[in-house]
Amino acid sequence: MSAMSLRSLNLPGVGTKYEFETDKGDTVALFFTKTGTIQMYTLQKGCKTPSAAEMTPVEARRLGNILTGAIIEADQESVEIAFSALADLRVTIHSFLIPKSITGRTIEDLQIRAKTGATVIAVCRNDRNIVNPPPSFIFETGDAALVIGESDQIKMFEREIMVD
Amino acid sequence: MEGIILALFFCLILALITKYLSVPAIPFYILAGVVLGNAGLGLVASDEISRFFSEMGLIFLLFFMGLGLKTEKLAANRSAVLTSGIIDLNINMVIGFIAAYLLGFSVTESLIVASAFYISSTAMALTSLIENRKLMLRESETVIWLMVFEDLILIIVLALLSAGNQNIAIFLVKILGVLAVLYALAHYGKEFLISILDRDDELPILFTFAAVLTTASVSMYLGIPETMMVIALGVAFATTDPDAFEQHARPFKDVFLVVFFVFFGVTIDFSGGINWYMITVICLLAIASKLISGVLTGLFIHGSALSGLEIWGNTIARGEFSIAIAVLYGSPLVGTTIAAMVIVTSIVGAFTAKYSTALRRGILSLGRKKSPPHRSHLGR
Repeated sequence: MSAMSLRSLNLPGVGTKYEFETDKGDTVALFFTKTGTIQMYTLQKGCKTPSAAEMTPVEARRLGNILTGAIIEADQESVEIAFSALADLRVTIHSFLIPKSITGRTIEDLQIRAKTGATVIAVCRNDRNIVNPPPSFIFETGDAALVIGESDQIKMFEREIMVD
Repeated sequence: MEGIILALFFCLILALITKYLSVPAIPFYILAGVVLGNAGLGLVASDEISRFFSEMGLIFLLFFMGLGLKTEKLAANRSAVLTSGIIDLNINMVIGFIAAYLLGFSVTESLIVASAFYISSTAMALTSLIENRKLMLRESETVIWLMVFEDLILIIVLALLSAGNQNIAIFLVKILGVLAVLYALAHYGKEFLISILDRDDELPILFTFAAVLTTASVSMYLGIPETMMVIALGVAFATTDPDAFEQHARPFKDVFLVVFFVFFGVTIDFSGGINWYMITVICLLAIASKLISGVLTGLFIHGSALSGLEIWGNTIARGEFSIAIAVLYGSPLVGTTIAAMVIVTSIVGAFTAKYSTALRRGILSLGRKKSPPHRSHLGR
């Protein structure tokens, strides 16, 4: 396998360009423009005209997450972090939208820790974040919960709690 | 004062419409000025304040251009930049000059028209490359560097046209003196400049504004072109933190430049006569000569005339720099001619930039139909 060579180039008045060719001969180019947008071009081997997509920085970061393999479902994000110094400990952080079925119930009464081993570390409600919610915390419709645990515990959470 | 407010209000509406339709705003600012000003309804007249604002617009435009010129960057692909730059310069300057001279302009006037005729609009070219998502095309890189080359030529043009009939030796000594001071400041004061730019109070923006104005007024006092010196200030400051300077200069540039465009339109008067024949010839030639230089550049750099068509499509539009030349050195007749050329080429250019890819494809498919033996190659 040949090493992927990434070219970066400063284009005066336009921005910065990154370009590389894949093993199969396709080309991917990224432009961080001075207008603040990010344009991604892909050019299939043998083709003359590239296709392009323009993204905001938030969208580009989202794409980055997908490409690194972090996102599982479209509206729910998940990041797995591996700590090689801690006997290759792998922790997954996953966001869930709270369904109607558990609206009005507390963390304690759902027995989240006992049933799944996972922990709710934050809840996002109306664009405000509540970090480390207490066991007496009551879920409301529209909440998004951030859950931490091993990947099996996260799967358990999804099976046991999300479809109550 | 009411005039400026009325003009700005019109421009605000025009800006909203042109951004919505994603067409260049510059020709419409000028047209708004023509309609509101001397040549039109006579609602807006230029006064002390508008002249000051316009001058700020020009000075900040040039300072901004200087910030973008980083000479060490040029070194990378020097021969390609040089080849395309020289083709573009020679073809367009020569055609522009001969046309203007034959149409009855004096030698100096012809040189002014030719310079405005030669220099494409960097703002419009770069915006169209980004908005039409053409950045990955190999021709785009050629266009981007062509704009840098044209900027460098502009500096020389400004110096030549400003020298006038002064003693050249003294003139050069003064220029070199100011340049030396600017570079010494940027070099030895680098730490200080960066420490100022890092602050988050009003100091960075105040400093940027004061530095540009001081350079301009000292140059005027010494009798050397302030336009050239603010570019030099930009180039000198670009060695410290160009992004920060761009950020602080942008609000001034954006607002004053709109005033500059609209009042350029306001001050146009048809007292010098309006020669439709002359305007038509210049506009058509302005489009045609960039086609010639574009196709030649395409052939020399990319080995393809179709690449040249792409370069042409993105460099037709003349804009801010052509108007700057007209404002600084043009007589009323020269001003009217350049205004018409900017309006026509920037509108035509907006279309060619948008549809150049389709145009190329059309020509390719025509070629395919005409030469069946190649079909097996191109098929699949």
